Amino acid sequence: MTLVCFLSAIVIGLISTWTQAFGYMPSIGFNHFSVIHWIRLFSYPGFNSSLIATMISGIGATLLAFIFTFFLFAFSYHNQFWRLLDQALAPLLAVPHAAFAIGFLFLAAPSGWVLRLLSPGLTGFVVPPDWSLMKDAYGISLMLVMVLKEIPFLILMSLGALGRIDVRRSLAVGRSLGYETVQVWIKIILPQLYPKIRLALFAVLAYSLSVVDLALLVGPTAPPTMAVQVFRWFNDPDFEYRLLGAAGATLILLLVVSSIGLLYLLEAGVKLIFRSWLINGQRRSRFFLFSTLSNFLVLALVGVSIGVILVLLVWSFTWRWQFPDFLPATWSTQFWRNGVLQIGGPIWNTISTGITASFLAVILVIGCLENEILMLKRGLKTNTTKILWLIYLPLLIPQIAFLFGVQVTLVILRLDGIWLSLVWSHLLFVLPYVFLSLGPIYRSYDQRITDVAVTLCRSPWQAFLKVKLPMLMRPVLFSAAIGFSVSVAQYLPTLFIGAGRFDTITTEAVNLASGSDRRIVSVYALFQLLTPLMVFLSALFIPRFYFRQRKGMQI
Amino acid sequence: MNTMLKILVLSLMTLGSVAVHADEWPAITKKARGQTIYFNAWGGSSRVNNYIRWAATEVKQKYGVVVKHVKITDIGDVVNRLLAEKSAHRTSGGSVDLMWINGENFKAMKKNQLLSGPFTEKLPNYRFVDTENKPTVLFDFTTPVDHMEAPWGMAQLVFMVDTARVTWHPSGMKQLLKFAKEHPGRVTYPAPPSFHGTTFIKQALLELATDRTPLYQAVALADFNRVTAPLWEFLDELRPYMWRKGKTFTHGAPEMKQLLNDGEIFISLSFNPNDASNAIANGELPDTVRTYVHESGTIGNTHFVGIPFNSNAKEGAMVFANYLMSPMAQLHKAKPSIWGDPTVLAVDKLNAKDRIMFNKLPLGIATLSPAALGKVLLEPDSSWVDALEKAWLRRYHK
Repeated sequence: MTLVCFLSAIVIGLISTWTQAFGYMPSIGFNHFSVIHWIRLFSYPGFNSSLIATMISGIGATLLAFIFTFFLFAFSYHNQFWRLLDQALAPLLAVPHAAFAIGFLFLAAPSGWVLRLLSPGLTGFVVPPDWSLMKDAYGISLMLVMVLKEIPFLILMSLGALGRIDVRRSLAVGRSLGYETVQVWIKIILPQLYPKIRLALFAVLAYSLSVVDLALLVGPTAPPTMAVQVFRWFNDPDFEYRLLGAAGATLILLLVVSSIGLLYLLEAGVKLIFRSWLINGQRRSRFFLFSTLSNFLVLALVGVSIGVILVLLVWSFTWRWQFPDFLPATWSTQFWRNGVLQIGGPIWNTISTGITASFLAVILVIGCLENEILMLKRGLKTNTTKILWLIYLPLLIPQIAFLFGVQVTLVILRLDGIWLSLVWSHLLFVLPYVFLSLGPIYRSYDQRITDVAVTLCRSPWQAFLKVKLPMLMRPVLFSAAIGFSVSVAQYLPTLFIGAGRFDTITTEAVNLASGSDRRIVSVYALFQLLTPLMVFLSALFIPRFYFRQRKGMQI
Repeated sequence: MNTMLKILVLSLMTLGSVAVHADEWPAITKKARGQTIYFNAWGGSSRVNNYIRWAATEVKQKYGVVVKHVKITDIGDVVNRLLAEKSAHRTSGGSVDLMWINGENFKAMKKNQLLSGPFTEKLPNYRFVDTENKPTVLFDFTTPVDHMEAPWGMAQLVFMVDTARVTWHPSGMKQLLKFAKEHPGRVTYPAPPSFHGTTFIKQALLELATDRTPLYQAVALADFNRVTAPLWEFLDELRPYMWRKGKTFTHGAPEMKQLLNDGEIFISLSFNPNDASNAIANGELPDTVRTYVHESGTIGNTHFVGIPFNSNAKEGAMVFANYLMSPMAQLHKAKPSIWGDPTVLAVDKLNAKDRIMFNKLPLGIATLSPAALGKVLLEPDSSWVDALEKAWLRRYHK
């Protein structure tokens, strides 16, 4: 039921966008359906290059992120590098996309920190070289940023899924049969793992194909990616462009749908081609050569993230810093002082919305999962895949394809610019992530413990509150923290559903990024990064404190 | 001639209407007290944000109006939201009470009746506005303002160069080409249809066109290809010598300022003649940066604040718009250390005290004197904007 209420918004938004795409928008005098806006779309200058850059960055980022993620599991799982990754996972997830892209730009641009470190000593540059390292025409820099940002998410999702595959025993059995570890991963674990993270992969795909804020920061400019182009059309003062934007938004949706189809085909193809290889019994390979590369990848991932945070920190304390100086010539705390004075309102909006949305999401998800257990007890089968698809829907449909439609609907109902609507719009995106991160662990809880508890204290409620919930406290809090960081990162929903009246850290950061003052932008990017990080840290430490006297619950 | 006549008629109308409506003002301020207005304005510059915060505190104290600055990245968002509200028949209780606009956005709002109607003649401070010598306060990118938006500040296109890195700067578009060939990869302009990008294209067209008269008529009447041929020839020749070989463009002047500071480019542009001085004082640019203009003059215009048709607090919005036009607020805004945005007022219309204060305004280290700023070129007819943007996209979006 919650789902229906939820998804109705998306359906309404989509229908509204579709009718506009076919030229129907009576409020601005377009009363007839036509395909003219589609023709305009396809003949728009630079349409082809825009489409190509979108596909390279979107599909490329998804495939590379998946391959690298699997790579990390196959070669570095549980070695000393993995421990590093394990500890860095929460902070990596907490870093919002926009803050990460801003920092990455400060690091890797031709005038960035890396070249400042090498210049003029090693390179001889006194002015930055005219290299197209960032914002290249094919969207490769955009792809790279997304790959780095999506790997931690896919690792998290895989870890959840691996809980249901007995990795340790698979590895032991495989090795005892003489297979290399890597061979076990590829031949035994991957075929089981992939179906379980398929949806997460699709969510990454939909996100990468339709992302706006990242593409504005590091994407191509002439022409930009489709999503940026559509965003511009929606914002053009000439209202006719709105219809063009609607057609473009629908095209992005079609692009997502067909790319998902493509991944399915790819999956089928890979299955067909490698089936005989999977069972050929060969136990050795030259794959182990990659293991150094994989360990290097872990270091690069963690290293880049640390670099991003460091460069933001240095810029936030800068007064004057010119190329090729390695460090600022003059330092200043002014931007932090101003920032701290002015951040109060946005922080409050961010935290109140984020906490409420993630709290509601956790309750709804636990409700759903308990209901599932109840149904199971009564012998009813729930169609979990169907439910999963429904919950995933907000992640699979590009925000840009339905948010403008939702906005119009809320305006009609006079529900825009209200805090509750804002929370609800965040919940739309928070809920799937909470479900994804909590679901697998919650389902693997041994229900017999609760059964015993019920017999001891008679009340199912008591058993739930006193036994099950504390036992699951760690994953529950962790999933809430993920939900919170998802809420923090929302830009388009906050802007459109909140009627611009609720400034959050993210809207402030994106606003100030348009002013290009790196020092202020860094302060806000760090605020944007620190807020979810704090929540993640509390999610880690609250259980530790709570269970300080219970040995069995300590890690 | 025709334009001058229009201006004259409009100014006369203004004088007449001020007399008629002046008595409405006390009622407006009375009604405004206690209202909260949502002022939608670009929030990308912390010094502009700080100025708005200052002005908000002032009107809170003086008139009891609460001003909330809704920070936005692109006013187009807001125009669109208003359209959504109009299509939902929300004729009152709108989400926006006052907005910072000009040019195309104003034109679109006026055309689609998203504005609340004429109001500036009711504002007491409007009589100080320099309607005689600043024609752009009456014609916003050639669209007649018709009192539907209140002038807030003046803008003129200027260029900035880092004198520590180069020995000379161009004095016109042809020279800019020579400069680019001498310093390959160090010159760029923002991509149209961004505001600054389109302005650069218009400036180049005004400088290079053999005959400017067609530019001040509707584009349909002119032979577009013939008039713009020198422009494309210039841009085509410039492209291979541009930053990133002309394959990547910047989003606007703020990004170019950052690139100028990095030394990635040697020339940047701005619509605020005080921008360079302000950025030097602020640590954003080195103190070796200087401002210059092209010999043939540069494009100038005015930015305004307007009230949407469904504003929930029209009186409060009028009180704030009036305060923004007051000598005190305009003076504070013109200080290079605050914002450095030139005034819309005619200094000789002010009382002696205010006049002296304005004349005593310090000239920043990199600011040109009014004489050195040279001639202001009027924006071409607004119908040219769309045609130029489309032609540019066809050529350079590949």
